[in-house]
Amino acid sequence: MMIRALIVDDELHAREEMAALVQETGAIEVIGCCGNGIDALKLINKLRPEVLFLDVQMPVVDGFELLNMVTREIMPHVVFVTAYDQYSLKAFEEKTLDYLLKPVDPNRLAKTVAKLQQTIGENRSPVYQTEEIRRIPCLLGNRIKLIDLDEVEFIATTIAGVHAATADAEYFTEVTLKVLEERTQLFRCHKQYLVNLDGIGEIILLEAGLATIVTRSGKKIPVSRRYLKLIKKKLYI
Amino acid sequence: MDLLTFSLHNVFALLQQMSVYLVIAYLFTKSPFFRSFHLRILHPRQLLLLYFVFSVFSILGTYFGLQVSDAIANTRAIGAVLAGIIGGPLLGGAVGLTAGLHRFALGGFTALSCGISTTVEGLLGGLVHIYLMRSYQQHRLLSPTVAFLTTLVAEVTQMVIILILSKPFDQAVALVRIIALPMILANSCGAAIFVSIIRDQRKMYDELSVTFSAKALKMAERTVAILGRGLDTETAQEVASVIWEETGVGAVAITDREKVLAFVGQGDDHHHIGTPISSSQVKMAIRENRIVYADGGKKKWRCSLSDGCPLGSVLSVPLRVDNELVGTINLFEPKNKLFLVTNRTLGEGITTLLSDQLLYGRYIEQKNLLTRAELKLAQAQVSPHFLFNALNTISAIIRNDADRARDLILHLSNFFRKNLKQTGDLATLEEELNHVQSYLVIEKARFEDRLQLEMDIDPQLMSIKLPVFTLQPIVENAIKHGISAMLGQGVIRLAVVRQPGRVLITVEDNAGNFIERGRKGLGLNIVEKRIKNLCGKDHGLEITCIPQEWTKIAITVPEGGCA
Repeated sequence: MMIRALIVDDELHAREEMAALVQETGAIEVIGCCGNGIDALKLINKLRPEVLFLDVQMPVVDGFELLNMVTREIMPHVVFVTAYDQYSLKAFEEKTLDYLLKPVDPNRLAKTVAKLQQTIGENRSPVYQTEEIRRIPCLLGNRIKLIDLDEVEFIATTIAGVHAATADAEYFTEVTLKVLEERTQLFRCHKQYLVNLDGIGEIILLEAGLATIVTRSGKKIPVSRRYLKLIKKKLYI
Repeated sequence: MDLLTFSLHNVFALLQQMSVYLVIAYLFTKSPFFRSFHLRILHPRQLLLLYFVFSVFSILGTYFGLQVSDAIANTRAIGAVLAGIIGGPLLGGAVGLTAGLHRFALGGFTALSCGISTTVEGLLGGLVHIYLMRSYQQHRLLSPTVAFLTTLVAEVTQMVIILILSKPFDQAVALVRIIALPMILANSCGAAIFVSIIRDQRKMYDELSVTFSAKALKMAERTVAILGRGLDTETAQEVASVIWEETGVGAVAITDREKVLAFVGQGDDHHHIGTPISSSQVKMAIRENRIVYADGGKKKWRCSLSDGCPLGSVLSVPLRVDNELVGTINLFEPKNKLFLVTNRTLGEGITTLLSDQLLYGRYIEQKNLLTRAELKLAQAQVSPHFLFNALNTISAIIRNDADRARDLILHLSNFFRKNLKQTGDLATLEEELNHVQSYLVIEKARFEDRLQLEMDIDPQLMSIKLPVFTLQPIVENAIKHGISAMLGQGVIRLAVVRQPGRVLITVEDNAGNFIERGRKGLGLNIVEKRIKNLCGKDHGLEITCIPQEWTKIAITVPEGGCA
């Protein structure tokens, strides 16, 4: 079985070269290539690759930040690829499966592939220590805007996708609600909503143990029965 | 007896006595105490001293007086009145009382009236003191006119008191007729002269210190930049000439630790530059690291080179930089001339000044070294990222386009060759652009569509000179922190245009990321420092940024480039 791989690098030729080298090994199938962290997140969520050849230095959202935003269940194995060992990648060696230096030596890549095959064969899933997310990358035209968590009032997921609401705007993001719940201070108040407790203006209690939160800027979001208790406890009500 | 003649005779006799008195006053002004006291602020201790001094003067006035029919025509009033004017009513009263009591003790039919009047005279002086202080005329405390008039009034008052208090009245009238004119005149003149002696002495000290300071300042001004260039025969010669001209000493020599660096003045026919130090005093100054002074009196300076040398005294002062002795400054006077104390002080002072300048020179030198070291650092800063990414790009391009790959390798070679080559501090704009061009061709290959380049360069400016390694770090900065952090298309605009009085070089990107980083990185700091060092303080580097829109780095250099 071919290993399904996604290649993430902001340089066109670097992606091409990596894809060519990887395919030459005969053990890996490149299922996608992309040039930035946001696209990568989208493709990871969509294609569920088994392995990620990931450039560390990328615009706006770098390799490490990207990994912070991937849901644990679909986390691929990660091979860092970098031009220069600036980040002391050896320190990350335990966390990631392997790392490669550019230009990539095919012999060195062969060892990486062997390691991949063994790991995947043993069905070991990758466990990465994730850090708290401080800024949520959102797509805004052809730019990535990083929204400070302090500015976010709530996060909602709809059919259209996940969006982060600030006092005066809403931004779409590829980061899932689950990841944000796990790795930020945002608090779950509903199956489809996370709320910033600091952004709550008032809580209107309704019948049947339901409630509505009115944010400081006046937006309303629902609170389900299950989470109301927890919110009350959290707010010492 | 002709009253007038007698009085005139008395006037002269009194003036004669007064002269003795003034000589003592003159001696007083030569005393260290006189130099230390300051008229406007008198401390209790100084007041006490003044009390003693003026009391003695006043009592001496009595002793120097002329015996006139059981009374004494005297100059006692001067001490009391002046004490009052200078020190106020308390001092004046105290001195007057002391001298008055003394006079009272000597007896005679005017004993009481004289005793009282002297006290009154002291108080009168004190009133004048208060008046002058209150009306902000402190400068008139030592005015001969004030002293004259005050004493005049005081003496008239004394005469009146004698007439009122002395018994029998007839005798008092007779006495006053005889002594009034001589005493009034003699005391008033005496007080005026006394005051003017004090004042002139004061003035002399002031003027002396003014000339002294002026000389020192002028020397400092003339030597200030010279030793910044270091201590060698050329700078030493310049400094020696200045010291020689300003101090007016016989000769000036400057040595390092072993040999004579400069010799100016008398004896330069046999004191040659470059010869080893021969004088035992100078050697001693170096060996013992202290000032050696042979005043020409007890300790003579004898020239070891020529018996006909006119020089006879020397001051040899060690020149130190950071406590390390680097040489000596030597002032000579000929045998027939005294070594002035002022010149001695000047010589020592100027050496301290010169030591500071040498230290400054070292600092400048080290700063230059630093600039050069910074260039090395800037070159060494070529990031390994750039190299490995370039190689990675080339290795990818080889697959599809061997010619382009070869071209890239040539550019990479050119770039590194330029980096490694370091010839001097300056390079032409053309050379700088060539360096940048190679850099940009490679970056363009890395980023392909994400990087677009626009150039607007005035071809007439190609030969102006810039500090070497100015453009590349700025362009690199725009790519590293601007374009490479952008998702969309990046544009870099490089422009070199002539402006009135300067040449403006701008590198602009459309990322607008500078504010987020908030400060110049090491690379840009080095570029700016080098421009300021090599092209002048008015030129440098300025960064403007509209976040998310553009960052512009502007460099200005002089119109004709950097010299």
